[in-house]
Amino acid sequence: MLVKVMSAAHCGLDTIGIDVEVNMAARGLPIFDIVGLPSKAVAESKERVRTAIFNSDIEFPQRRIIVNLAPADVPKDGSCYDLPIAVGVVSMVMNFDVPANSLFFGELSLDGALRHTKGTLLAALYAREKGVKNIFVPVDSANEAAVVDGVSVFGVKNLNQLTAHLLGQQLIEQVKYQDNKEAINHDAEFDMAEIAGQTQAKRAIEIAAAGGHNCLMVGSPGAGKTMLARALAGILPVLTERESLEVTKIYSVAGRIAAGGSLVKLRPFRSPHHTISQAGITGGGSIPQPGEISLAHRGVLFLDEFNEFPRSVVEALRQPMEDGTLTISRSKEQVSYPSRFMLVASANPCPCGYLHHPTRPCICSVREVEKYRKRISGPILDRIDLHVDVPVVDVEELSRNAEMKKLQESSAVIRERVIKARKVQTQRFACDTVCANAEMKNRHISKYCRLLPEAKQILLKSSARFALSARSYFKVIKVARTIADLGSQKEISCDHIAEALRYRPKLKEEL
Amino acid sequence: MAKAIEITNKRYPKLLKQIPGAPSKLYYKGKWDPEIFNNCLAVVGSRRMTRYGKDCTRAMVTAAAEAGLTIVSGFMYGIDAAAHQAAVDAKGRTIAAMPCGIDLIHPAYQDKLYQEILDNNGLILSEYPAKTEPQNWTYPQRNRIVAGLSQATLVVEAALKSGSLITARLARQYKRRLFAMPGPVNNVTSQGTLKLINDGAQMAVCPQDILTFYGIDTAAISKKQRDAVSPLEKKIITALVFGPMEIDELILRVKLPINELSATLSLLELNGFIKEYSGKYHLNAEVLDRAG
Repeated sequence: MLVKVMSAAHCGLDTIGIDVEVNMAARGLPIFDIVGLPSKAVAESKERVRTAIFNSDIEFPQRRIIVNLAPADVPKDGSCYDLPIAVGVVSMVMNFDVPANSLFFGELSLDGALRHTKGTLLAALYAREKGVKNIFVPVDSANEAAVVDGVSVFGVKNLNQLTAHLLGQQLIEQVKYQDNKEAINHDAEFDMAEIAGQTQAKRAIEIAAAGGHNCLMVGSPGAGKTMLARALAGILPVLTERESLEVTKIYSVAGRIAAGGSLVKLRPFRSPHHTISQAGITGGGSIPQPGEISLAHRGVLFLDEFNEFPRSVVEALRQPMEDGTLTISRSKEQVSYPSRFMLVASANPCPCGYLHHPTRPCICSVREVEKYRKRISGPILDRIDLHVDVPVVDVEELSRNAEMKKLQESSAVIRERVIKARKVQTQRFACDTVCANAEMKNRHISKYCRLLPEAKQILLKSSARFALSARSYFKVIKVARTIADLGSQKEISCDHIAEALRYRPKLKEEL
Repeated sequence: MAKAIEITNKRYPKLLKQIPGAPSKLYYKGKWDPEIFNNCLAVVGSRRMTRYGKDCTRAMVTAAAEAGLTIVSGFMYGIDAAAHQAAVDAKGRTIAAMPCGIDLIHPAYQDKLYQEILDNNGLILSEYPAKTEPQNWTYPQRNRIVAGLSQATLVVEAALKSGSLITARLARQYKRRLFAMPGPVNNVTSQGTLKLINDGAQMAVCPQDILTFYGIDTAAISKKQRDAVSPLEKKIITALVFGPMEIDELILRVKLPINELSATLSLLELNGFIKEYSGKYHLNAEVLDRAG
């Protein structure tokens, strides 16, 4: 007797359909085996399935049972095949037909309950794409799958409940998608208003958030670089629907969506430590998993102590920063993950950290400082739109200054401006592939960035005077575009270019 | 429609008239304003321009054009085109002497530059009518117009055997000042200019070298610039006279929103009044002297 159950396998963010074929032979010695390139987790599935069925008070047939995961040549990984295999076996014992046009996906616990399974969202998306009507998933993962409309999602608690449903005794209710309230909680660690002074750096952060620009902050320890970066999380606008789905897909595959979790709404903020390996940042493994840069997709990748990161890790950022995707090639498979992140980096001005510090003397020689700066490669610096110094300020004095207090805006106020600027960009790029100003390529710049004549003149003059590279030249225009958007201006004026020039790369002479 | 001016005309450029074999008739495009010929600087160089040559041409020409000199060159690609381009970018006037008939654009792909020269009140000149094709011998012929129009000639990059050296020889023959810009000694396109310097051409290292010859005082220019600063800029300069400041201090002092302050600071930096390093804004030394 042969039963076929539909399921799905993930290869990066791509999903392929898997037919789980369960055959119970009429003769032969009792055996329970899985074929079709199962990984260790899949091979162990048979023990989980057998025990779960047994613990659900269903008799496990003493027959020759062979499970084939077709297509047989695709490597299978993960625990999501427990449910389809169990359904195949139980259907033969309890004598019901496995419903056609239904997809089963989920991990079993030994007691017969279903566990939260990673990649459920992608399985649901696959179901919709292939016109599959019903999808049965663990109840904890059901909300994630219910994001996809056009597919009936059934959240299954345990095997017995599913059996009752399939026998038609007691039906499981379809799951409706519910937004998780906590998903849109903006509270960052720090509010912008808590940071005394640093007006220039705050403005840079605001521009970065509004246009998705990369940003480098240089300053002595304790100047407030990390604080500024953490406060950035609080002024970012929520993800758009399209972006939210992209991000949730990555998080779903990585198994980073909590049980009962909904769509990711807030922009991710990733801050890996500088001991991270290359595979950690780009993603990897024999079955490639997304790395930090993919987890930071549509959000922020914050690299504190930028100079301390291994060169290989920093250089690995180059290509994804340009292309917005990263392809990991391994012997068994090749996987692409999106990686359009905003890089926020912070660095000390010298090895001891106190170069130009108002009170503490710097103990580094000029050569040491030079060597230290050279550790960040030129190509990476050239890809950073906003360069800003974070000087040490007398916090006590500034916080006593009433006027300064008035100037310190709260994150909520800044966020309003950022959201407005993003709206302008969404409208501008409505029929284009890019989402934010920072993503513009040269052809977009000539299309969307009209410079007033005086602005053009200032730019030309400064490009000669400040020795801007061709890339920096266009970066200035992009940043000016964002500044104009923040001020709701259609055309880029002289003031916008001039302000953008403040954040140009600092040269060696300014050491 | 091309217009022409005869050598007998009073408005024919005087300097050009002095040279032996001056063209009897000059076809031109653009507005003939005799003033354009007052202070002419010929900038010529190799077609095989290096990055070094391009940057140096740009720096020299920008300063010269801003000081009001007319840049004369031969509209060839390479240094010639870079000189014309830098001049129009600085909104200066420039004259292109063509080796072909006045109705041709040669090389044709530089048509955008051609238009920009005319848009910035520049002139296109040729001694050949209509659509005369350029010939091997018309290029050196054209060079005598370039050298003849100008009080001084600057050679930026040239190989030992090149049209630029012909222009240089002509300039010398006409008793005009000759400038040459030194370049890397291991580069083919530096050999010509280095030889010129060896033979007595004046070395041009910075714009002031040339401007002094024209009697233009850059100090006077910077005074003009200083007087041109806006009240806001003046306020910032006055604040910085008492020592370098961080942005927060400046904000409290001048009471401006950060975006406007940043923009003004950039303009001040662009005009050489201030510098930013180590997170502080510093007044440039020469500004400090004058302010003090």
